[in-house]
Amino acid sequence: MIVALDIILRLAAWLLLAPLLPGIINKVKAWVAGRRGPPVLQLYFDLAKLWRKSVVLSTAVSPAHVAGPAAAWIAIITAALLLPVGPAGASCSFRGDALLFVYLLAFARFCIVLAALDTGSAFEGMGVAREVSYAVLAEAAIITALLTLCVQSGSVSLATMLAPSAGAGAALLAAGLFGVLLAENCRVPFDDPNTHLELTMIHEVMVLDHSGPPLAAILHGASLKLLLFAVLLTEAVLPLGKLSLLQAIGALVASVFVVAIAIGLVESLLARLAFRRVPLLLTTAFLFCLFALLVAWKGGRL
Amino acid sequence: MTPGWLLLIAGVGLVAGIFSAFKSPRVWLAATLAGAVAVFVAAVCMLASGVPWNWQPDFVIGGEKLHLQLDGISAFFLILLSVLGGAGTLYSSEYWTDKNHPASAPAGRAWWNGLLLNMGLVLVCANGLHFLIAWEIFTVCAYFLITRERQRPTARAAGWLYLAASHVAMIFLFAFFALLAARAGSWELGPMREHSELAPLFWLALVGFGIKAGIFPLHIWLPSAHANAPSHVSAILSGMAIKMGIYGLVRFTGWLPTPDSAGWVVAALGVISAVLGVAFALGQHDLKRLLAYHSVENIGIILIGLGFAMIAAAHGNAAWGQLALAGALLHVWNHGLFKALLFLGAGSVLHATGTREMSRLGGLWRALPWTASLFALGATAIAGLPPLNGFVSEWLVYLGLFDAISAHGPAAFAAIFAAIALGLTGALALACFVKVCGVVFLGLPRSEIAEHVHECGWRMRLPMLVLGAACVTIGLAPILFWPALATASAAWQPELANVTLPAPLVTLGAFHLALAALVILAGIFLWRRVQHNGVSRTGTWDCGYAAPTARMQYTAGSFAGIITGWFDWILRPQRHAHLPKKLFPAQADFEEHTPETVLENVVEPTASLVMRVSTTVRQLQHGRVQSYIFYLLLGLVALAILAVMGGTK
Amino acid sequence: MSGTMNLLIGLAMGFSLLALASSRLPSVIRAAAFQGMILGTLPLLLEEKFHWLVVAVAIGTITVKGFIIPNLLRRALRAANIDREVEPLIGFVPSLLLGAAAIIGAAALGSELPLRPEHAKTLLVPGSFATVVCGFILLMARTKAISQVCGYLILENGIYLFGLLLINTTPLLVEAGILLDLTVAVFVIGIIVDRIQREFDTLDTRKLTSLRE
Repeated sequence: MIVALDIILRLAAWLLLAPLLPGIINKVKAWVAGRRGPPVLQLYFDLAKLWRKSVVLSTAVSPAHVAGPAAAWIAIITAALLLPVGPAGASCSFRGDALLFVYLLAFARFCIVLAALDTGSAFEGMGVAREVSYAVLAEAAIITALLTLCVQSGSVSLATMLAPSAGAGAALLAAGLFGVLLAENCRVPFDDPNTHLELTMIHEVMVLDHSGPPLAAILHGASLKLLLFAVLLTEAVLPLGKLSLLQAIGALVASVFVVAIAIGLVESLLARLAFRRVPLLLTTAFLFCLFALLVAWKGGRL
Repeated sequence: MTPGWLLLIAGVGLVAGIFSAFKSPRVWLAATLAGAVAVFVAAVCMLASGVPWNWQPDFVIGGEKLHLQLDGISAFFLILLSVLGGAGTLYSSEYWTDKNHPASAPAGRAWWNGLLLNMGLVLVCANGLHFLIAWEIFTVCAYFLITRERQRPTARAAGWLYLAASHVAMIFLFAFFALLAARAGSWELGPMREHSELAPLFWLALVGFGIKAGIFPLHIWLPSAHANAPSHVSAILSGMAIKMGIYGLVRFTGWLPTPDSAGWVVAALGVISAVLGVAFALGQHDLKRLLAYHSVENIGIILIGLGFAMIAAAHGNAAWGQLALAGALLHVWNHGLFKALLFLGAGSVLHATGTREMSRLGGLWRALPWTASLFALGATAIAGLPPLNGFVSEWLVYLGLFDAISAHGPAAFAAIFAAIALGLTGALALACFVKVCGVVFLGLPRSEIAEHVHECGWRMRLPMLVLGAACVTIGLAPILFWPALATASAAWQPELANVTLPAPLVTLGAFHLALAALVILAGIFLWRRVQHNGVSRTGTWDCGYAAPTARMQYTAGSFAGIITGWFDWILRPQRHAHLPKKLFPAQADFEEHTPETVLENVVEPTASLVMRVSTTVRQLQHGRVQSYIFYLLLGLVALAILAVMGGTK
Repeated sequence: MSGTMNLLIGLAMGFSLLALASSRLPSVIRAAAFQGMILGTLPLLLEEKFHWLVVAVAIGTITVKGFIIPNLLRRALRAANIDREVEPLIGFVPSLLLGAAAIIGAAALGSELPLRPEHAKTLLVPGSFATVVCGFILLMARTKAISQVCGYLILENGIYLFGLLLINTTPLLVEAGILLDLTVAVFVIGIIVDRIQREFDTLDTRKLTSLRE
């Protein structure tokens, strides 16, 4: 009973808080640009509206066009259940759940990109090709980050991997994971969430033909994924496991807020990279994680 | 009934199948299926009881006493053989019928049974000589199956390449078994770990079995053979025949001592095969050739697990070795199941459209809903995504690697690279199968041949359903298969016999079950919501372009372009392009072909060099008696000089 | 103290990677300059006693490597009117990965070597190996004369780092001499770059093969 209540409460927190993050980022961007910007709660309004709207489907699409977003949304939510929250641990924790976490996100990507390819649009094909190609490098980086955490903690379960602090390599790991966060969530400098030119987009171009509730599922899933990465980044770097629950939650909220502001600043100050430079940046993120691993490795032996 | 009787029934069924293949396809079907079921039951009984079965009658074949043995490893591989054999048998009864292929179908059925029978015999033979005989017969049967369509030159070439490569492998295996028999004093096989002088023989076995398994760079025969064989044959070749190579490696690393570096080499080969196999797959435009390269990739994953298990065994049975081995063995099953499913799906596409060229397909889900859904299921499984079986085995290998790293042992440094490579492989495989599913089944038909097609009948659909169900079952309830894995591991290394469950498979299964249920529920819920809100249909957004055609869809080549660009240094794709020029461009075209690099840039130049040298040397030998006498004289003079030189000393 | 030093050496290694990954000449020059400046501060950390000679050499190194040489190079860049894009023989991602492999290899090698205990805890030896190899990679993988000079500078930084091991036994004047040589070399190269540019209309060092007669 308590377990069920715990899961429901956490799910509610994840689901309700997630759309806040893009709002904060947009507010920061507006603030840097000297505009007033949309309200922080804009995504909530958008989602509510989309949920009620009717759907325009392409004549080319199969049922996968609707099933894909649903499956991806579920995969991201179940990944959220694996992520621990400070000393409270995760709702579902077992040995090897860290890998399941990574592969659930990969499954979500698989579903989204198949739903996009379903339309037969060349633009969406382009977006999908970019998404899956850059994900290869991001995957290498995130596996390396997990290896770092595993070397530090001697465990393959997220709850214990994220409890101790990242040690000497924390800055390196933070830089690497931040790069992965930007790439996986299609933010500047990898992709521009505000662009309106189909040729230059990744994530936005994949959802061109979605509308109504499936689009709501995709947008909500994307915001949840962003929140997951922000929490993962925070917990990988800060030793939240050693604090009391309230302190930990406070620190978590504050640092997720900081991450959101950082993303906003990056988006305001940097331009989107040319696509041929993206692999270089992702390799850099991978190397950051790799050097964090090296530091953790040396730290363990000296 | 003991396994012996069941195996006897199976053997009789398969032999009866051979005799009835020409006369009565129905009897053949029944006899072969009965054989497959009997093998399945026998292997399951053995794995359930854990008691090996031994049979040493007084038969003498080729001067050696027959010795059949069914232990954990044999039974483990036999189960896969029976499932794939049964599925392929049923499938071929609709796919390769007497009506469609009057010339090749009857003989094809006979060779098919010969293949199944001899693969089964290899798995249960415990005598080196008989092992070799059965191995050779199954290799030859596979050759005749690959060249079923002898009228096509590509099929003939593929068959020759396969036969040549297989016989290079055979030479190494001959050397291996002969030296083994000479040093051990008997052809009888069995555990002989204490004979440390046998360790160097491992390298012979690695090459011999490695060619069969398709390890990079010994895989040169694999893509063309698997692409040109009939699809049910591709399924059994890719699902089972290359696993015979893995069986050989598992079997003899279990029975014989290995050199110290063996595990490292196997793991390194695994990493190379995994990453490069999938890279080559991404460069392919031929559906079945692409699937064939994925076999190289998955063999790589299996070898990573096996290699680390060997390293662990060499360093005193570290616990992570058990995980890596369990992952490797489970991946043998998993790859067999989903790769057979994918090849059967590809066969269904080929059956319907008559082409394997992906750029001419598209939008097939409308006409082939069953094939499309089952292929998508297989794609999810092979990309190693939860909640299906591919993830379970990769997860076990990952756990082994991560444990090796946190143990800070000698293997940790290597395990880091292997884990990163495994992550890369997973993401690349995902990209590749997104490409396949998207280009072949989704979107709109790219050519006329993809427009008027029809779904396959139930005899082709049922095997795919069975294989798909097996993938789902292993994914959702992996714990059910743990006893089989434990028995097989114990047969590999007796020290592993009493290991308790090292990974939380129950929790993982429960999680997968919940995930699958939620995905289905959410799909239904969203679909109902969409219906409730109202749906209107319109064309795909075309960015304002007035006359979009289906040919404008993204193609397989452009889809994979980014990643194949990273691997250009090894893929060496050949591109011919006439780019559009001027304001109103005339015709433009682009052609891309990814060759088999190792074959075309290493093997063929070496072979042609050998040919050139041999042609030069051959001029010595032109049949004139005078010149032979001249050679004799030369020889005599040389001998005389030698004698004089020796005499002076 | 060894913590700060390791941090600085780590940063210096990061700058060699940055030089490998940069596609523009000014940022390659900047990376080499920053690396030189960071390494210039190391003698201050290594020497326990305050010594005016050490301070002088540190200031000298920082000035020469951080300001004079980069300025010479930038002037050559301007004077010769060179296209600022680096032309890689080996792509940026592969050279970055090679550099990372060099660092990991150097770290592995550093833990194998029989070092004196006070050196074993620092990154001096791995850092110097890694920097030397990164310099070599830059020299091998780039074609323009300016990036070659930067590779040479990074190489020298690696050797300098190795020289710090012997700081107690080698007179600092030797280092000062090397520094002087370096400045003169870069000065000369600056002039040569200008001449090559006028003569061949390119700075591609591959074209220099036509000078062999």
